[in-house]
Amino acid sequence: MSQWYKELGAEGDVTVSTRVRIARNIKGLPFPSRINKEQLKAVNDEVKNALDCAVSEGFEKLNVIDMNSISDEEACAMVERHIISPDFAANRKDKILIISSDESVSIMVCEEDHIRIQVIKSGLALDEAYATADRIDDILSNHITFAYDDQFGYLTQCPTNLGTGLRASLMLHLPIIEGNGALASIAETVSKFGLTIRGMYGEGTKSSASLYQLSNQITLGISEKNALENLQSIAMQIIAKEREDRALANKILLEDSVMRAYGTLKYQLILSSEEFMQHISKIKLGCALGVIDIDPTLPTKLLVECQPYMLQKTYGIMTPDDRDICRAKLVREQLE
Amino acid sequence: MLCEKCHKNTATTHIKTVINGVVTEKNLCGFCAAAEGYSQFANNSFASMLASMFGNELATGTIKETRCSCCGTAFSDIAETGKMGCSECYATFKDRLLPYLRRLHGTTEHTGKRLNSVGAGLVAVSEESKIEQLRTQLLEAIKAEEFEKAAVLRDEIKSLEEGEQK
Ligand SMILES: [Zn+2]
Ligand SMILES: [Zn+2]
Repeated sequence: MSQWYKELGAEGDVTVSTRVRIARNIKGLPFPSRINKEQLKAVNDEVKNALDCAVSEGFEKLNVIDMNSISDEEACAMVERHIISPDFAANRKDKILIISSDESVSIMVCEEDHIRIQVIKSGLALDEAYATADRIDDILSNHITFAYDDQFGYLTQCPTNLGTGLRASLMLHLPIIEGNGALASIAETVSKFGLTIRGMYGEGTKSSASLYQLSNQITLGISEKNALENLQSIAMQIIAKEREDRALANKILLEDSVMRAYGTLKYQLILSSEEFMQHISKIKLGCALGVIDIDPTLPTKLLVECQPYMLQKTYGIMTPDDRDICRAKLVREQLE
Repeated sequence: MLCEKCHKNTATTHIKTVINGVVTEKNLCGFCAAAEGYSQFANNSFASMLASMFGNELATGTIKETRCSCCGTAFSDIAETGKMGCSECYATFKDRLLPYLRRLHGTTEHTGKRLNSVGAGLVAVSEESKIEQLRTQLLEAIKAEEFEKAAVLRDEIKSLEEGEQK
């Protein structure tokens, strides 16, 4: 299996990816903000040992990455692939990352919590992603004593994650809802159901590629099952609305904007990150609507591979100006 | 827009701060934002909620400082950062935390997966609270797009939660 951004998953015309994260902490150790070097090492060892035991019991072997061996550029490229958080990249000294070969499972050790299990999948795949994360949680809990309280559930560094420690999120491509100015009212509505929606590349109400992250906020007093069902049902309504609005949009205007973006990306020599993001959003939309005939996995693949550090990972370290030229070339070639 | 710190990457984090009525704006890339301590995943609403409630009392010293016997964290530290020091802090500061947990999550009782109940994650827990049952019905109503029914259920949940607080 390949990485999440190279495939088109379920409801892929609107849903880019699914991410599920479970936060856990080890009993008897301070939370990561207050941890010392020895304690950090103890956490690393405990997680590694637990996974070694799991392998001897037949669980798939995961790779352990010593974050000291990872350069700034590489760490940033991991952030761009959504494997680790910017926080973990910036504060990675002496930490370890556990990761599956297809990068769909990653465990950040001593990010905000001692253990953050993350599963990322293409398209809408909440049940599948949660099942995997839950299984890893079961395996770890066989070997590690988690901080847990009968009333509060799993204890986390931030009370915002207390209870289930579960954060599930969907990356949605909502160009038409955004264009119609309906996002503010959607944001208000979803907040009533314990969810938030926010721009993925750009904070607040505006996103440079019309990509939005819908996720659950409440982790206490709601079961994992209900939290996931809640997220799924609201997401399906937003997806249906985006599709409906796409169908109702002025066809010639929509196709014109897609074709212009397609033309621009096919015939250019210098492509800044911002310009790329605007156009790739149109390409993704045009592809979903069948306006342009390209490989449907291409827009998301390019979206990730054209990020600054991903470009440098592929083509070597270069100046921002050279990067824009390199991005232009990659996009031109891929759209041929 | 480029990140104003490294001038290399696209600014993806926009931070507005208001100090004495003066608004300052920062536009940073994810990496610089994290380096400056603004986490993409951090939820500072809890810290600001605590700070707004306790700020004055803490400043005037009317709250005497209890410290967690395990990690030495004081409640003022938690109010400032929104972060607990260790898992024992939850027991140490339980009474003070309860109102905030209620405001954050609407309740103070965990109803999800239980520790040492392997595989229980997607199985209903044995004793579903009344609120949890109503929440399930609410979800079904939303799914069926019965929004009037959903509104009634939501109000019912709200009043139950308020009752719980008394
Ligand atoms: Zn920067
Ligand atoms: Zn403590």
